[in-house]
Amino acid sequence: MPRHTSDTHSRQNRRLGWLVILAALAGITTACGSDADIDQRTVTVYTGRHYGIEPVFDAFTEATGIAVRFTAGSDPELRERLTAEGDNTPADLVIAADAANIELAAGAGLLAAVDSESLMKLIPDELRSEKNEWFSLSRRLRVIMYSTERVTDPPTSYADLGESRWSGRLCLRPSTHPYTQSLVANLILNRGADEARTIVESWVENKPLYINSDTDILKAVAAGDCDVALANTYYLARLLGEDPGTPVAISWPEQDGSGAHLNVSAAGITQAAQHPTEALELLEWLATDGQKAFSEANFEYPADPNVAPADVLVGFGDFTADVAAVRQLGGLNTDAVDVLSRAGYE
Amino acid sequence: MVTNRSSSAAGWLTMCVVAGLVAAPVVVIVSSIIDPTPSMWSDLWQTRLPGMISDTVTLLVTVVVGTLVLGTGLAWLVTAYEFPARRIIGWLLVAPLAVPGYVAGFVWLDTLSGPFGQRGVRSIWICAATLTLTLYPYVYLFARAAFRSQGADSRDAARTLGLGPVRTFLRVSLPMARPALAAGAALVTMEVLTDVGTVRLFNVSTVADGVLRVWFSTGNRDAAAELATALVVTAVGLIAIERGLRGSARYNIRATGRPMSASRLGPRSRVGALAAVTAVLAVAVAVPIVRLVVWSFESRRAGTTATVAGGLWHHASSTLVVAGFATVTCVAIGVVIAVLARHRGGIGRIATRVASLGYAMPGPVVAVGAVITLAAFDRAGFVPGRFVFVGSVVGLVFALTVRFLAVGLQGIESGLERVPPAAVASARTLGARPARVAWSVELPAARSAIVAATALLMIDLMKELPITLLLRPFGVDTLAVWVWQATSESMWTQAAVPSLAIVVVGMCAVGTLLAALERGAELIS
Repeated sequence: MPRHTSDTHSRQNRRLGWLVILAALAGITTACGSDADIDQRTVTVYTGRHYGIEPVFDAFTEATGIAVRFTAGSDPELRERLTAEGDNTPADLVIAADAANIELAAGAGLLAAVDSESLMKLIPDELRSEKNEWFSLSRRLRVIMYSTERVTDPPTSYADLGESRWSGRLCLRPSTHPYTQSLVANLILNRGADEARTIVESWVENKPLYINSDTDILKAVAAGDCDVALANTYYLARLLGEDPGTPVAISWPEQDGSGAHLNVSAAGITQAAQHPTEALELLEWLATDGQKAFSEANFEYPADPNVAPADVLVGFGDFTADVAAVRQLGGLNTDAVDVLSRAGYE
Repeated sequence: MVTNRSSSAAGWLTMCVVAGLVAAPVVVIVSSIIDPTPSMWSDLWQTRLPGMISDTVTLLVTVVVGTLVLGTGLAWLVTAYEFPARRIIGWLLVAPLAVPGYVAGFVWLDTLSGPFGQRGVRSIWICAATLTLTLYPYVYLFARAAFRSQGADSRDAARTLGLGPVRTFLRVSLPMARPALAAGAALVTMEVLTDVGTVRLFNVSTVADGVLRVWFSTGNRDAAAELATALVVTAVGLIAIERGLRGSARYNIRATGRPMSASRLGPRSRVGALAAVTAVLAVAVAVPIVRLVVWSFESRRAGTTATVAGGLWHHASSTLVVAGFATVTCVAIGVVIAVLARHRGGIGRIATRVASLGYAMPGPVVAVGAVITLAAFDRAGFVPGRFVFVGSVVGLVFALTVRFLAVGLQGIESGLERVPPAAVASARTLGARPARVAWSVELPAARSAIVAATALLMIDLMKELPITLLLRPFGVDTLAVWVWQATSESMWTQAAVPSLAIVVVGMCAVGTLLAALERGAELIS
């Protein structure tokens, strides 16, 4: 450092102060950036499901001694990150909150085929990919929900939401969300793109209120901002847990036909996993010992049909679900986005 | 001299390499136009693009006009008139800078859903009002500096010539402040064009939001990059227009005479002035903070004042480390580029502009551009061992630097411009090498400008969400990430504690900024 007679001591002190702050910052950063426990077995997870997932991972660590590091984000953003990282990705396991997104990851070659006897046995064929790159861990349904105070004759088909009597009374989630896209992909699969578009257009004609949160959608139904809506089953379960008197109920759609739209939380091991053994251990644990904890943390139905769902879900009653569609949702995602755009869906 | 020539070559090289590195992620995105996707454009034209453009234009015009009116009016009030608590109010009016748009957004979304209903509250106008209330301080800061520097002479002359106070303001003070107002409006424009957090809360589909739509709903990275490029070109075009209109006019026409003295207001006007500033402060600062405090207590009662990752301290320290590290990096690189570009004419100017491009891009787009760049570094194996840029603190800080370097660079440039050329020349004559001149003459003289730039960067980086969300390493959970985790599930109460923490730390940075401005720092040249 150049010395000048004109430099006052205070200025030098101040410079020194800045240097100390810089050094401290550099120190803290290095400490944060380094892998703390090299010796411990770890598995790194990218998860699109972030609500209530932490206690499940803690239970896994307790059971196996394998530490779980995870980053939460939206499914498409995590997939984009995975693509960019390529072989250098730190991710071993990917959990998506949407069947289409996990299938798109598999289609992009990001996931490795898994050979696991227990997974094949426990997870039904329709709930895993053809080449076993991903396995569903829990199920939920996107169904019609209605106000029990103002609606006596709720719709029983997704198409019914386009009836003019629901004009100005309908709440939907914007098309930016995978849940909306997958529901429309399901419609395309069962009815063809043209009919699906007609249905979506009839919803749009009813001037729906778009809310980018299922929780808020159900609150809007309860508060009277709308009377019918589309939402996932677990949001109602969660809301009923907070306030059992919530005046919102489910109307199971398509019960005489294809069944209600089924979507899943699913997981797969990355192609470039550095800890494939640990990743497989976690995946198998989530499908077996952790199955109940994983699905109940979010009030979802377990993927393994032999595991009993939470009481509140049992209270929702029996229903028919469109299980056969789950594998197809990824392939129809682009078409669904296109139908939504052309129909003028927000 | 041989030494001089070689050090000069080193200077050129350093400047170009650093600017090139910072611009690389932007170039990666912009290069998508080499191979355009016409089908995407025709699809977009038939579907969402017209709506996106009209929403963007409506939002931009409303917010720019709103911030200009509010910022200029308030600045005029606190510089030209004397009223009780004027000094404190003058400071407090900058405080909304510490409130992130997405926090103000969910507070107002919830607060106004009562009177307007869930349907009415999701409106472009309420979105515009929210953005105006969080962004007007940019215009206010520039306008206040301009009015202060005008001095008393021009105003007194106008008054002597028989102009009333209103006409003096409209015909003398306002035109003289025009370049400063344009600079403030330019900052607001960048913020509005690149916002992705606030608009989505209100269902406003801007072009920036459209980039994310195309990207993440169709998985078509190239198409999204093309749309992002269109956005950058628009932003750069608007900046060019602003600079063109400004021309050679400089707003810091420092009056040689007396500083402007504030006029006393009559009792009735005094009440009016106080009522006006109180109303603005109530809406822009008090309501959000009170609601956040109330929610924080509710959250404490419910036992949700920590995430599984850790408590407030864990998140706050993540924020301080990331924002601090990124701020220091931006300032350091900003100083290097500004010093090197200063004496290098047109190419120097181009280097600074190129390094500033990231500021015209939405955060998530910068993030993905950075990931592509860093992944290329990783594949090339520049760094030995198992170190990987993607997912490291270094990678995150790099992306943040790309996005926010412009904020620091602009302030540092303006600070350096105030260094008298004679001082530099005499130091060189005495045999000092350029690096030494920069270290001992230029930088000390620009010190308060550097402090102001540091504070402004800290404010922006504290609030940053999309880049951190996509690129944060494991264990780095900033306050903004906590806010996102809660708000993405509409749990406003759980988002209150981290939001409040962001606001409090942001206020400290605002205080530092104001102190630096008092010592004569300027935000822009």
